[in-house]
Amino acid sequence: MAGFRSGRLDAVRAKIAALETGGRGESESLPFGDPRIDRCFPGGRGLPLHRWHEVGGEGMEAETAAAPAAFAALLARPLLKKGPAVWIARRDDLHLPGLAGLGFPSGGLIEVWARDEAQALAAAEDALGASGVGVVFVEAQACDLTAGRRLQLACEKGQATGFLIARRPFGGGSSGTAGGSAAATRWSIASAPSQPAAGRPGLGPPRWRATLERCRGGRPGAWLFESPAAYCETEIQDDAHPLRLVADLGDRQLAPAQPARPASSPAPFPAGGQGVPRRRLA
Amino acid sequence: METRGGTRRLAAVDRAAAGLGLFAGQKAADALAYVPDLAAAEAEPEADAQALRALVDWCVRFSPAVAPDPPDGLFLDMTGLAHLWGGEAALVADFRRRLARNGLPMVCGVADTPGAAWALARHGDGASLCPPGRQEEVLDHLPPSALRISQAACAQLERLGLRRIGEVRRLPRSQLARRFGLELITRLDQALGEAPEALAFRRPPNPWFDRLALAEPISSPDDMARVCGDIVERLCARLTAEGQGARRFELAYHRVDGRPQTVEVGLAVGAREAARITRLFLPRLEQVDPGFGVEQVTLAAFEVEALNPRQSALTPEPAVGGGVEIAPLVDRLANRLGPERVWTSQAVESHVPERAVARRAPFSPEPPARWDPARPRPIRLFRRPEPIEATAPVPDDPPVQFRWRGRLHRVRLAEGPERIAEEWWKAPIEAASTTHVRDYYRVEDQDGGRFWIFRSGLYEAGAPTKWWLHGLFG
Repeated sequence: MAGFRSGRLDAVRAKIAALETGGRGESESLPFGDPRIDRCFPGGRGLPLHRWHEVGGEGMEAETAAAPAAFAALLARPLLKKGPAVWIARRDDLHLPGLAGLGFPSGGLIEVWARDEAQALAAAEDALGASGVGVVFVEAQACDLTAGRRLQLACEKGQATGFLIARRPFGGGSSGTAGGSAAATRWSIASAPSQPAAGRPGLGPPRWRATLERCRGGRPGAWLFESPAAYCETEIQDDAHPLRLVADLGDRQLAPAQPARPASSPAPFPAGGQGVPRRRLA
Repeated sequence: METRGGTRRLAAVDRAAAGLGLFAGQKAADALAYVPDLAAAEAEPEADAQALRALVDWCVRFSPAVAPDPPDGLFLDMTGLAHLWGGEAALVADFRRRLARNGLPMVCGVADTPGAAWALARHGDGASLCPPGRQEEVLDHLPPSALRISQAACAQLERLGLRRIGEVRRLPRSQLARRFGLELITRLDQALGEAPEALAFRRPPNPWFDRLALAEPISSPDDMARVCGDIVERLCARLTAEGQGARRFELAYHRVDGRPQTVEVGLAVGAREAARITRLFLPRLEQVDPGFGVEQVTLAAFEVEALNPRQSALTPEPAVGGGVEIAPLVDRLANRLGPERVWTSQAVESHVPERAVARRAPFSPEPPARWDPARPRPIRLFRRPEPIEATAPVPDDPPVQFRWRGRLHRVRLAEGPERIAEEWWKAPIEAASTTHVRDYYRVEDQDGGRFWIFRSGLYEAGAPTKWWLHGLFG
């Protein structure tokens, strides 16, 4: 009975997914390589591609957007083999040596410096719709439903994946993203304390606390990621995802959607999750 | 024959007339008195200038650097090419023979400097070659008028009894300058090669040019867009036929009142797709003010280079060959936002963080320099470091806490210092100092925020240390 029911549910989900994608069949996705993350995304297949994703931060990060930018760059790094990347911003404080240190090959990155919000979003739409572009990053304050829908249509026209890095202009008011959004996912990124290897001085590999606040056709979640290859002289392997899961921060009491979840999954991380406050999910 | 100052005068004479004692500048009435059956024609200075331009263009067969010297001369820079004719004399002979075949007599002079060559051509025997470095002795025997100076100065020198350049040269320079102005000194130095002289070389006309003359003046936006498409198509057809592509196009609308209105588009890589280039032009046409109408449209292509048709791909897998396939996008953005707002960063070998990044146009060749991944650099670098209040118990240690933008950050982990000094080798060694030394630390606060802070200057007892925040690692 249970099998029959789940089979029917899967069939209905597939039908809805086909309707949502406009009958273009299954869209591509980028798996994180860890089922604890991938199962939160539609179909359990990881970050959906040819969509646009919103990445933001809180507090000072809403203004500087350093952690969201670093996280988005690492999320998008495997996509660079599909084509060059375009980075659209209103402030020109992106420092390419920093991206290169995180393992982001910055040679072909095209930077665009927009004058205002409308110009940034228009340039992003243009870049997303152009053929040959792999990834588009756009730093913008907010994206209302109309603009978001336009971005989505442009994503479907071209074959690029977009990352909107939510960034408030200095001294500006709070961004009004509380309303609906056309983004496929919405992330909130904060830096997390790093753990240097035992006996090593200095800082450990950078860590981020990533909260998946919203996911179309999926479930929210929260994780602690680490970029093990950052600031290493070693060559970065292309096949491995640049982000390594350190701990699952999801509050299981609040997310009972999947009943049969093995209770042992978040355990095997001795030190990493400590000191990180549990976050309630939206 | 020309009219100058209300008097009819001879503008130029041919050899036969000169043999009869006529000279340029003579009054027409006097000339007619000497030679009653004088065949005179009206002077046509514009036609002469045009003929000179044509001659200059023709002279490109001898040297790429040809400068017209109106009204009746030209300079030919033959540096390093006489050996192609077997010597300077052979080159001059060939030049003379080819001109004579067209019925053009000529006089010429060959010297190290344009001034000396001019003097030799006008006042020498008409075919003299000055040996390299010997223009002084050749010039000393020529009259001062060979120096290309004004007639007034020339007449005054004559009145003072100075009939040879050699005599002029023996006078003190300061007095010469005071009496005859700087022109004489400058011309003398230029002739002797002691002062530089710039010649305005004529460049060959751009062959990638097309024009469209309109039967009726147009002014409506639709018509302007249509002629833009038409002329782009014409030029692009020629570019395609010859396998070329251009990186810059300049479209000019010539209005009825004679004022051209130009719009320009630039491309990241050479292109010749008419539709694409027209699309780049169309948003710019709003800036064009047609006035009372446009009667002619011209289009010129610059930076034309060979553009071989590329095979896009054999496999459906998109190629990552430099990303040239996104050139149309880069062109659209660069033309909409301005070319300085679209760039690719490249590494510069400099330790100073502000100088480690240079901007270059997309798709331009990439230098081999690389950023060192083992030196952590922030992802956001502030253009101006922001001052922070830091508490550091030991002068050479990172701070234990600092306040930035009103918020207190307790340093949990720190890395450093990485000492970055100014690039003293770029300035005189006396100017080098230790005031611009920065000791950079990478610190992490209690929440995991990672910052790049530095202490400026070296530690001095008693002096307060200044701390700055330069970037964020995120």
